[in-house]
Amino acid sequence: MNLRFHWMFPKGGEVGMKTAQETSRVATTKAGSAAALPDMEGWVRFARCAEEAGIESVLLSFSRYEPDTIFIACAVGQATKKLKFIVAYRLGLMQPTTFVQQINTLSGVINGRVSLNIVAGSSMVEQRGYGDFLEHDERYARAEEFLGVCRSFWSNNGDDVSFTGNYCRIENGKIYTPFVAPDRTMPEIYVSGHSEQAQHLALTQGSCWVRLIDTPENLAPMVTRFRDKGVGVCLRLCVVCRPTRDEALAAAEALLPSEEIERQERRILSGSDSKTLKDALAAADQVGWMNRNLWAGLVPYYGSSAITLVGSPEDLAEAFLEYKKIGVTQFIIAGWPKLDEMMIFGREVIPRVREAESHE
Amino acid sequence: MSLRFHWMLPKGGEVALNGRQTPREAARYRIESMHAGSPAPRPDIEGWTHFARQAEGAGIEKVLISFSRYEPDPFVVACALGQAVKKLKFIIAYRSGLMQPTTFVQQMNTVSALTQGRVSFNIVAGSSSAEQHGYGDFLSHDARYERAEEFLAVCNAFWGRNGNGNADVDFAGKYYRVEQGKLATPFVSPDGKSPEIYVSGHSEPSEQLAYSQGTCWLRVAEDPAKLASVVARARARGVGVCLRLCLVCRPTREEAVEVAQSLLPGDSAESTVTLKDDSQMYREGGQITTGHWLNRSLWTGLVPHYGPVWTTLLGSPQDLADAFLEYERIGVTEFIISGWPEVDTVNVFGREVLPLIRRQ
Repeated sequence: MNLRFHWMFPKGGEVGMKTAQETSRVATTKAGSAAALPDMEGWVRFARCAEEAGIESVLLSFSRYEPDTIFIACAVGQATKKLKFIVAYRLGLMQPTTFVQQINTLSGVINGRVSLNIVAGSSMVEQRGYGDFLEHDERYARAEEFLGVCRSFWSNNGDDVSFTGNYCRIENGKIYTPFVAPDRTMPEIYVSGHSEQAQHLALTQGSCWVRLIDTPENLAPMVTRFRDKGVGVCLRLCVVCRPTRDEALAAAEALLPSEEIERQERRILSGSDSKTLKDALAAADQVGWMNRNLWAGLVPYYGSSAITLVGSPEDLAEAFLEYKKIGVTQFIIAGWPKLDEMMIFGREVIPRVREAESHE
Repeated sequence: MSLRFHWMLPKGGEVALNGRQTPREAARYRIESMHAGSPAPRPDIEGWTHFARQAEGAGIEKVLISFSRYEPDPFVVACALGQAVKKLKFIIAYRSGLMQPTTFVQQMNTVSALTQGRVSFNIVAGSSSAEQHGYGDFLSHDARYERAEEFLAVCNAFWGRNGNGNADVDFAGKYYRVEQGKLATPFVSPDGKSPEIYVSGHSEPSEQLAYSQGTCWLRVAEDPAKLASVVARARARGVGVCLRLCLVCRPTREEAVEVAQSLLPGDSAESTVTLKDDSQMYREGGQITTGHWLNRSLWTGLVPHYGPVWTTLLGSPQDLADAFLEYERIGVTEFIISGWPEVDTVNVFGREVLPLIRRQ
């Protein structure tokens, strides 16, 4: 099977931004940031380019700084025909029955082009603003129950779900609006997180584990463990692709923003109770270049998902095929500027990967 | 101020795009929409868009999108339909107890931004205890209202009502606790106001909830003489009154009566109201057994079978215009109407009745 390439959907206003610096989290979470508002014009343009570039899905991120992901997928999905949406949602924000009803409705409106990225929540402060006061480990225990209920609805045709757990209780739940898709009866469920609990959740309730990219050698045993249990592995990364490796290196280094942004982003990363964020910061500070093409140097500026594959089209195509060899099946990618880097990727890297795959 | 006219959004598949539909066929479709195998739970963007354009042409301001487990999620429907039509507004019916208020506000604000502010909502405490259990809600009728009060208080705090301004939201109640709640996406509307809140119900707690947290009290049509004091009370508290009713308009009253009576079930024992065991409004409706004429134009013959929202205003265009103007005199400000079939009725209303009202 061919590798599946997804892309991070830009935040409001980002499609028009030309420098990476403008898109740092520190900037998009400031009061008055354009990220708070939907950007239908920019988004529809981006979505159509993604379809053209050969991108399968876009990941819509969830936070209190952005519009709700379910409705972005609904609106942009009506303006596109092929692109799918990985809707990130945190748990503890609504009842599982309600969530299933919303996702099923969305699937009916955009012909099943929706999957889910379940995040247990990475900021305690943000969760409390949503009325969620559970600790990290308990959030995962609840997520397990929540997804268990959702999956019962999807595998029972919406019929008569009863469940009694520590966090969820449902009695004779019924949802008449079905999940509709050409080839599935329930959405793909991506579970992200590096912690033991996140991995457990991915294995029990997910269809795919999402984690930050690392070197193939480091990842190989973990990937095998997941594949053995029938769960796929999807890597989060950024790319900088230029005609030569030297040009790519220069472009990557030009992305470094001011020290003030670093100071603030470090505060977010080190204040979180998420293992993923801690791991990423450690890679940046203790390792830097993880191998010839994989650089963690941007993490202190752009956050944990900024571990970046840097190189020529051939370097990158080879790197992706290397991950394929160890069993990785999907990638969620970002780049700067958001639109240009995706077009380069679609033009230069995907065809090289497909060409190699056609000989497998 | 002019009377404001809204309409019920038809069920999925209810709008007959090919060929005509008799009033009886339309009524049967609605009654059977809760039966297994009905297409009603599936989103029907094509039929809804057709209806929505007719409603816009007829001078209808908003459509009410109802909430139940038998239907698609009304948030998603409003978002999708809002992309297809550009003028019509939406009243999203939602029950409290299904999601955190912070999440609800984030969804409402997102949909407002995606529809240029064309959303308001109708909060329903929940009318069937079996249905609520399926959503994970096990509170009793009165406790549901107590919770709805807290729910709306949190929502209103996010929207800067109740003097909260732009401060973070902090709330500690019996049912909800929110700490430093903050949402970057604002409620977007042309006039800069927060959403209108329709509170429906006939019980004492629902009336109090409308006064404390709502902008409009939504109830089923009654004889104006009986309603006058209730309406005066609500208006004195600064809250509007909106009436739900069904409409049958024919060239003469006799023809209208004949059509309405053709909707009576062949089996006099047929009833869908037993499903709503926990609603004051439905309990009152169930007690109507004789004397189905509340006045010359207002008929409750269908109510014992199908519930109070089948209360029917019928007559010639002039009869109906007079009836609406009589409600205006006692202080009613808005109406939510439905008919059989919806498309034909909204067109007749726009062509025959509304001009007579606007002339006054």
